[in-house]
Amino acid sequence: MNVISEKLINLDIVAHSKQEAVNKLGSLLRDSGRLNDFDAYINNVIEREKLATTGIGFGIAIPHGKTDAVNVVSVAIGRLVEPLEWNSLDGEKVQMIFLLAVPEKSKGDEHLRILSELSRKLIHKDFRERLFQAENSSEVISLIGETLNKTLEAVI
Amino acid sequence: MKVIGVTACPSGVAHTYMAAESLQEACKENGVSVHIETQGSIGIENELKPIEIREADVVILTNDIGIKNENRFKGKPVLRISTSECIQKGSIIIKKLAAKFSTINAN
Repeated sequence: MNVISEKLINLDIVAHSKQEAVNKLGSLLRDSGRLNDFDAYINNVIEREKLATTGIGFGIAIPHGKTDAVNVVSVAIGRLVEPLEWNSLDGEKVQMIFLLAVPEKSKGDEHLRILSELSRKLIHKDFRERLFQAENSSEVISLIGETLNKTLEAVI
Repeated sequence: MKVIGVTACPSGVAHTYMAAESLQEACKENGVSVHIETQGSIGIENELKPIEIREADVVILTNDIGIKNENRFKGKPVLRISTSECIQKGSIIIKKLAAKFSTINAN
């Protein structure tokens, strides 16, 4: 199963709170069979969020859950219609959310490598701008695939 | 100036790598030599070599969680900051370090 797929992308999310946004993106993961326990996963994400904000700035948040409730390393991507308050490091509201799901036991996994590469790319302004402007899910998929590395396209 | 560092975070999934990338980019922008090791869920990557540690002018260690093999840096000037600070203020941190370094060298 691939880390990212079009089914895990929603570029028109309407959410009025962190919890609502996480729930909506989490349900994409559930509906694609990536979770074996939706509630446990969501709780894990919300608990993680309490430790420290995942609003990394630049209008991006990367909430994540690492728990046995996850079947396979995945990332759901959401763009909010209305930016949300996320206690971000730079005080800016969040427009794009990358909800990461990682099984407790995964280690040295090629899928984790994709997440790490994606995380690195988010530091780059040009990559972020292209993501913010993407018109549809397939554009997001091809942008990420092309940016990470052509050889990774097969796994994405 | 030569900067080395190690980044790590509790889940080892995202912040570790963002912090590393941010420091690397900030160093590139400022013409500073850099090598950052990551200790994430994938394991240790880009592990620092003894010679890189010897030659480093400053070591940046993130303080979200403990760093493995920290005794390698005994006797080196160490700056401890969070991965969040690396992500948000990478460029400011490196500029400050570079300024401090050039002052020390001038004296």
